[in-house]
Amino acid sequence: MRLSVQGIVKRFGATTALGGVDLDLAEGEFLTILGPSGSGKTTLLKVVAGFEAPDAGRVRLGEEDVTEVSPRQRDVGMVFQNYALFPHLTVAQNVAFPLEMRRRPKPEIAKRVTEALALVELGALSGRLPRQLSGGQQQRVALARAVVFGPRLLLLDEPFGALDRKLREGLQLEVRRLQRRLGLTTLFITHDQEEALVMSDRIAVMNHGRLDQVGAPAEVYARPATRFVADFLGESNLLEGEARGDAVAVPGFGPVPVACPPGPATLLLRPEALRLDAKAAGLDCRATGRVVETIFLGLSAKLRIRVEGGPEVLARVPLRPSTPPPAGEGATVALGFAAEDVHVVPRG
Amino acid sequence: MSSRVADARERLLLLLALPALVLLLGLFAFPVLRLLAMSVEGGSLEYFEKAALDGLYVSVLADSLRIASVVTGICLVLAYPVALWLSRAGRLGLALGLFALLLPFWTSVLVRTYAWMVLLGRNGVMNRMLRDWGLIDAPVMLLYNTSGVLIGMVHVLLPYMVFPIYAALLRVDPDLGRAAEGLGAPAWRAFTRITLPLSLPGVSAGCALVFVLSLGFFITPALLGGGRVIMISMLIEQQVREFLDWPFAAALSAVLLAVTLGIYALVGRFGGKSHLATP
Amino acid sequence: MTNHPRRRSMLLGSAGLALAAPALGQPARAKPDRIVVNASGGAMANIFRRTYFAEFEKLHGIRVVDTSPVDFGKLRAMVESGNPEWTVTEIGGQDATRVKQMNLVEPLDASIIDRSGYPAAAIDSHVYVSSAYSTALGFRTDVFPNGSQPKGWAQFWDVKRFPGPRSLRNHPVDNLEFALLADGVPKDRLYPLDMDRAFRKLDEIRPHIVVWWTTGAQPAQLLVDKEVVLATGWNGRFFELTKSGATVATEFAEGSLKSSVFGIPRGTRQAYWGQQFIQVMTNPRLQAVYATELSYAGFNPATMDFVPEEVRPLLPAAPGNLEKQFWLDVAWWTENGAKAQERWNRWMLRR
Repeated sequence: MRLSVQGIVKRFGATTALGGVDLDLAEGEFLTILGPSGSGKTTLLKVVAGFEAPDAGRVRLGEEDVTEVSPRQRDVGMVFQNYALFPHLTVAQNVAFPLEMRRRPKPEIAKRVTEALALVELGALSGRLPRQLSGGQQQRVALARAVVFGPRLLLLDEPFGALDRKLREGLQLEVRRLQRRLGLTTLFITHDQEEALVMSDRIAVMNHGRLDQVGAPAEVYARPATRFVADFLGESNLLEGEARGDAVAVPGFGPVPVACPPGPATLLLRPEALRLDAKAAGLDCRATGRVVETIFLGLSAKLRIRVEGGPEVLARVPLRPSTPPPAGEGATVALGFAAEDVHVVPRG
Repeated sequence: MSSRVADARERLLLLLALPALVLLLGLFAFPVLRLLAMSVEGGSLEYFEKAALDGLYVSVLADSLRIASVVTGICLVLAYPVALWLSRAGRLGLALGLFALLLPFWTSVLVRTYAWMVLLGRNGVMNRMLRDWGLIDAPVMLLYNTSGVLIGMVHVLLPYMVFPIYAALLRVDPDLGRAAEGLGAPAWRAFTRITLPLSLPGVSAGCALVFVLSLGFFITPALLGGGRVIMISMLIEQQVREFLDWPFAAALSAVLLAVTLGIYALVGRFGGKSHLATP
Repeated sequence: MTNHPRRRSMLLGSAGLALAAPALGQPARAKPDRIVVNASGGAMANIFRRTYFAEFEKLHGIRVVDTSPVDFGKLRAMVESGNPEWTVTEIGGQDATRVKQMNLVEPLDASIIDRSGYPAAAIDSHVYVSSAYSTALGFRTDVFPNGSQPKGWAQFWDVKRFPGPRSLRNHPVDNLEFALLADGVPKDRLYPLDMDRAFRKLDEIRPHIVVWWTTGAQPAQLLVDKEVVLATGWNGRFFELTKSGATVATEFAEGSLKSSVFGIPRGTRQAYWGQQFIQVMTNPRLQAVYATELSYAGFNPATMDFVPEEVRPLLPAAPGNLEKQFWLDVAWWTENGAKAQERWNRWMLRR
């Protein structure tokens, strides 16, 4: 079902947790709210779930305004950060809980619990208590419990935070598959930008209680709307320069031919767009620099380079068996980039 | 290697616990054993026979158990909401609540009991208020009967019920309540299905504590019962202090101890059945 | 000097002997640095400190350490362990006979303790009778003004003529006697107590007893709060109220007299100084302080001379009060106390 959040303001005493948030989710869409801790994302989730009442603004589910509706009547499934499984109830009882509260007939409950547990591949563990399960299993029980009653909306509050990396990656895909299969409109919260990029239809980047940018992962990555988004999402070189007419003068690199209103300007250059191959064609800007540090990453290497008469930049070069090894520390290298790989970060 | 380290640590911990163990053994276990030995002095069970066959002691014991159960029940009903409130109160509320709860501990049992006399007496504050409001014509007897004993004992013992329940409730993750609500549970059902069962260990601990302490009371029932309520501990005290009949006092104490241990065992089994663990 | 510590102590020792011998006219005794006197504590300890303790310390130069409370069980345990900590201890009046029977106290030394002029009832071979107190009737003077209070237990039992809630002690001692007196048994024919008759008489008063009191402070408090208008109680408690201006007075008619006694635990190392301490307690001037402040008059006949005139009628041992009352028979209670108590408990439980 569609979710529409309009002009949400939430204050706690003197601090403003949410300063006017607007957000629309299409039916079946998976939207991730990405932001550092303290940015207000959990508060927004609580407002949508109904655990916090906003000071201003509306929350709509489909055509219904649910701003004043209590959480238990919103029909929203939620997976908590620590799963919040009921420790004294078995896996099956946990999953049956929302159905019992809705006074579904017993046979229906049994059938739907079995289905939901099969969906998360936990049918064999239905008689166990939560503490007898691994972290990943607990997470899947929480998920089954959140979807078993056919919620209008699924909320996921950093559900993978407590899991190790490998398990996390497996579950990310599993959750995404499940969400697609059920066609559930889903609001997902994380501070992990990689997770956001992998899972989302769209990403909303939150900073200090506001959404800086909402868009598809590729778009947010390539064309960040603010300096914060550019910095927070992926690795980045933010080059400071002075725009005059049809170019921006960047120390060390000279004029970069991009359109930009006159005045100080910030250019985003992703590390992989920086070329260390001086003979490469189509480079609009060139410079020389000294390698400060080289980090070997397997498929690529990351180099920190101090540009002569300019800033320190980060470059990422692909490694193939055929290419020579990357320059070591202290080596002098030629570097450059194409103007079309540069994104002018809007000011303000 | 690591197991040797663990052994050493265990030995150190045992060493640290030793003074307390010695103290307990010396000051508790040993006297209790001597007491038990005294009750079967000369290899005879005559004192137990007297305790069992004399209707006086049986009916006083039954009365004591009855009063202890009622006190426990009232304490539970009064304490649970207080504990629930404390577990969700803000810092100021918590400080005030704890202060009010602990206040009785800073006054002696006698002072507390006399305070009740002033409040609940025939010409006490309560009766005067009721009369002024025209609710009663003649003073109500709130003291010097079972109700007086119950009021006084509940007052003294309430904190012993509140704190274990409060502690158990604190251990319940507040997200569980939120989760229940989000999954469609009305507040009352979220409480009965989730919060209440998870706080049961605290409830059973509080009940055991209050029940056993109630059985040992004798000053409060003597003063507020006006002589009409006799607790088994009063009879034991009489035997020790007035008649120096220590073997008989020992026999009565042994019976009381057995009853108390039996109740602990019951509570232990009950507590063992509930699922106490946190995730 | 530091080179000859032994010589120094010898010198001091002989000086001490030289001082002690003529002052006491007694064979020389080693002086301890302190003795321990165990008594009831409270207001009594305070007055003891100012009178007997101060006098003893002045006279003998030995510090008196006081402990409390009076505890028969502890006394027995101490004597049985062979090294009593107490030099002198108060003994509950009801236990005066028992301590002698159980051989828990030293005999008193008549060559040290002078009890000439004491009434015969107050002289015993093993315990020193220090003062008398009484379980008497306390009443509110606003409810019973101008001497209209019940006089004697027959009148206490008469709830028509003397209406109002009452309080008795939750204990058979005194109450069985009061019931028999109310039923017409003469004072000198009380013992042995007819328990059946006493409990039958108690049945009559039972519905009118609001509170069966346990601690000595209770009846006084009940009268002040007007919870009851008549209450039996220890006369010292009522005495305090009357002195502080409360509308409470004491009726001694058919009161139950008991004595406070002191003894020297058998085997105590300072037994000699215990005898000396008890001799200090016979001082009538000091006894009068005690009587005036707490109403517990001693038996030295000269004591009354030191008591102010207006206080004398409030003392249980004062002439005029003494003959209205009876002496509790401690021996009977020692013999029958447990049985009476059991019967009392049973009677109390009956609903």
